Amino acid sequence: MFKKKVTLKILLLLFASDILETAIHFFFKKGALTRAEFAVTDLASAAVFLKAVFSSPFLWAGLLTVVAVFIIWSTVLSRIDLSVAVPIASFSYILVPVVSVIFLHEQISVLRWAGILFILAGVILVSLSSKERIAESK
Amino acid sequence: MRDGLLIILFMIALTSLCDTFNQLFLKSAIDSLHFPGKFNLAGVFKFIFQLLIKPRVWLSFVFSVISLCIWLLVLSKADLNFAFSADSMHYIFIALASRFVLKERFGYLRWLGTALIVTGIVFVSLN
Repeated sequence: MFKKKVTLKILLLLFASDILETAIHFFFKKGALTRAEFAVTDLASAAVFLKAVFSSPFLWAGLLTVVAVFIIWSTVLSRIDLSVAVPIASFSYILVPVVSVIFLHEQISVLRWAGILFILAGVILVSLSSKERIAESK
Repeated sequence: MRDGLLIILFMIALTSLCDTFNQLFLKSAIDSLHFPGKFNLAGVFKFIFQLLIKPRVWLSFVFSVISLCIWLLVLSKADLNFAFSADSMHYIFIALASRFVLKERFGYLRWLGTALIVTGIVFVSLN
């Protein structure tokens, strides 16, 4: 069942969640990097690794941002369908690689950028198929 | 390196699956509530309080924690841009779950989009 149409307010909330989502992954990556050299081979060493990473302030900054995104998502999902909301909140697929290059100094090959564009194209098609549903239900 | 890539992809699939369960439980809990008409802060907080007393929300929370733990392990080994792009495989799980669990209906464009995402993940992984 389609609920209500996507308003400008919901669109803005979704874009805000894109930016916050990118921040979350940046913070988590920084937190995980504090123990990058740690060799995780079994559950016991995984527990030691996680305990160490959970003491990083970056991780807690990430978790705070998760709470903010949770509040935004709770609001958005009560208004529109999951299959409409998820595609619109997907510009982080470009934002995260850009942040990775600028702030984490990662390298992205042409093939990988192509893959990222395929993923984004797929996400846009999924969004269009949601629009089709809105038109049908009118 | 090839073995490492397969293990990383498997772990990303696990987090994606946990995320899908997380979203499904959350969506199901939210659908069972009536959202206040007004879009103000007080209404939002009241709504969140009503959510927090739902067991399904806590199930959703448990899956988030499992997902986060696996995700942190992935991030300590893999580049963020690769891990995040490959994590889009949750679209595949969410498409299937929306269709078969939430019974939402969608056409061929949706499946074509999902197929493009699969192709993208393959390209990103081939690096």
